[in-house]
Amino acid sequence: MLKRLAAIVAALSLSLFGLVACSSDSSTSEADCGSEGAFCIGLVTDTGKVDDKSFNQSAWEGAQEGAEAVGGFAKYIETLDPKDYATNIGQFADAGYNVIIGVGFLMAEAMATAAATYPDIKFIGVDQFQGTAVPNLTGLVFPEDKAGFLAGYLAGNITTSGKTGAVLGTDVVPPVRYFGEGFRNGVAYAAKELGKNYPETKLVYHAPDNAFNDPAWGGATAKQMLSQGYDVIFGAGGNTGNGALLQIAKTPGAYCIGVDTDQWGTVPEAQPCLVTSAMKLIDKGVAALIAQAKDGSIAGGNYFGEVGLAPYHDFESKISMEIQDKVTALVPQVLDGTVPTGVKL
Amino acid sequence: MKKLTGLTVPLFSVLIALFFGGIMIAIQGINPFLAYEVLFTKAFGSVDGIASTLAKATPLILSGLAVAICLRAGLFNIGAQGQLISGALASAWAGYYFVGLPSLVHIPLALLFGATFGALVALIAGALKAYRGVHEVITTIMLNSMVIAMADYLASTPFKEPDQPLTRTPAIQESARIPDLLGLPFGFFIAVAFSIALWWLLKNTTTGFRIETIGKNRHAGWYAGISVKRVIILSMLVGGGVAGTAGAIETLSITGRFEPAFNAGLGFDGITVALLGRANPIGVIPAAILIGGMRAAGSTVQFRTGVSPEIVDLLLALILFFVTAPILARLLKSRHDGVSVTSGWSN
Repeated sequence: MLKRLAAIVAALSLSLFGLVACSSDSSTSEADCGSEGAFCIGLVTDTGKVDDKSFNQSAWEGAQEGAEAVGGFAKYIETLDPKDYATNIGQFADAGYNVIIGVGFLMAEAMATAAATYPDIKFIGVDQFQGTAVPNLTGLVFPEDKAGFLAGYLAGNITTSGKTGAVLGTDVVPPVRYFGEGFRNGVAYAAKELGKNYPETKLVYHAPDNAFNDPAWGGATAKQMLSQGYDVIFGAGGNTGNGALLQIAKTPGAYCIGVDTDQWGTVPEAQPCLVTSAMKLIDKGVAALIAQAKDGSIAGGNYFGEVGLAPYHDFESKISMEIQDKVTALVPQVLDGTVPTGVKL
Repeated sequence: MKKLTGLTVPLFSVLIALFFGGIMIAIQGINPFLAYEVLFTKAFGSVDGIASTLAKATPLILSGLAVAICLRAGLFNIGAQGQLISGALASAWAGYYFVGLPSLVHIPLALLFGATFGALVALIAGALKAYRGVHEVITTIMLNSMVIAMADYLASTPFKEPDQPLTRTPAIQESARIPDLLGLPFGFFIAVAFSIALWWLLKNTTTGFRIETIGKNRHAGWYAGISVKRVIILSMLVGGGVAGTAGAIETLSITGRFEPAFNAGLGFDGITVALLGRANPIGVIPAAILIGGMRAAGSTVQFRTGVSPEIVDLLLALILFFVTAPILARLLKSRHDGVSVTSGWSN
């Protein structure tokens, strides 16, 4: 019996070998990394995936874009265990990569350590605010409060019940709090302008553990808000926020607002409710920093990327021209600080 | 055909898991032989690789033991995860709170904190089982959730490191940090010592004999005059203490503080380790080294070949499946040797 089983295993292995004989070898294009003239970019995700339709994905798109623009090569490693950040950064460093991108606030400490260990490599920390400037570590940060404020202003203008809310990742991650509070203040700004007295925007944060990967909680929280008459809800927090969007999309008449990227494209299931997204142009920022790293102009400290509202897509015809014009007029004022967001940073 | 040894089912499980995993890798258009070559050379092919493999294996040996010792008593301890987290947090607290102790006092003290709090969590499930007959699978699963939520709260409020936004405790004092020994993580030797001690306990002591007897047949054990309640509570206490020690060693040698995401999955991997090691305290060592090696090399496999690191989870799931499914044992004509997984819902 044992013999027969072994024979089966052997036969299957042989057929497997046949199967792979035609597959391509994936490790050829990067052979130059570490040699003179080569420009290699490595990206380490936080515990999300490069196709998370949010943060890691935007950063990876920016890395590819940047690599293409400077004629470099880009590659990623997805982290499963937060204890492995250093190991994963080390993979790229030891292979002689020129630029290493670390995505997300949670790996800020590992990036700072790596920057000290490998002084010749340029590190780009997406969403990692630098308190003290280190020459080879650049934090790509965004004025999230402004993006949130603009989204809130739109929300305040389109709500009919006057009740607006946000389903958020954890408030221990400052950018998430900036988004939420910016949103709340944007709604208040619109209400004041309209001379209305809306109840204060409800901000619901997930517990710190698994904050960005709990779509079930996001959906349940959104459902609860909807049942209480909230009609414009902002979902900000990776998969958790996406869960809220998907839930709202099932409720006719309710609006949702996405985050980070234009979620019209990344979460098409949310299209029935998605009026816009409070965007951080992470891909643009990463690509710009890669270009700077290539030409040597990159500086340590913080680099502020752009924020904005995504296009309205199908809602273009449903949102009155008057509101659209008001939002368009407010955008530059918020971005340049003429209209303060009132969020304590 | 000669009688199969206890090694046959685990070995075949691993091989068959690697085979099916290989098909999954090939479907992604990547040569599975290359992927496995990278996996195993990274994990076992260099001194550095072996050191990181053993570092990853250390908590798995202990969480495997935590499950294994309870299996011997006929209890299925799904709660190693919660016991481990409890131990990790308690040892982190002891690691940063006590200042000015010499290492020789501080490290054992912090380990003791970890073991005690791990054991306390398990004691709840043990007492409920012994005195109220509540099935330990239910209570340990529920305790996992409770411990995780409580640890989140404690690390975000009373024990939180001040003046920074993350949910985490302050870093432990240098005096609580477990050093490396001969380039290898010292915790590994502690884990192996626990394995040997528990193996000896089961083999050579009356307590061990009682545990084994109750595990094989609770009613016969009771009829023979063994206190079933005492054995249940004792094995849960030992299991929880060992799991708590796993969390403590992880905190004191690897992470240096408690942070909720740090210990994800270690206790659950312990279930795979225990079953792959046939619930044998010595058997969990190679099982943990195999799984630790795969965990340590996962990102290198992605770096070198492009296979998602989840391949390791897939392989572990397949191993767990084949090692528990009686299909394989039957196919190999083995009697259902070793331990059965559950004691049934009626006991």
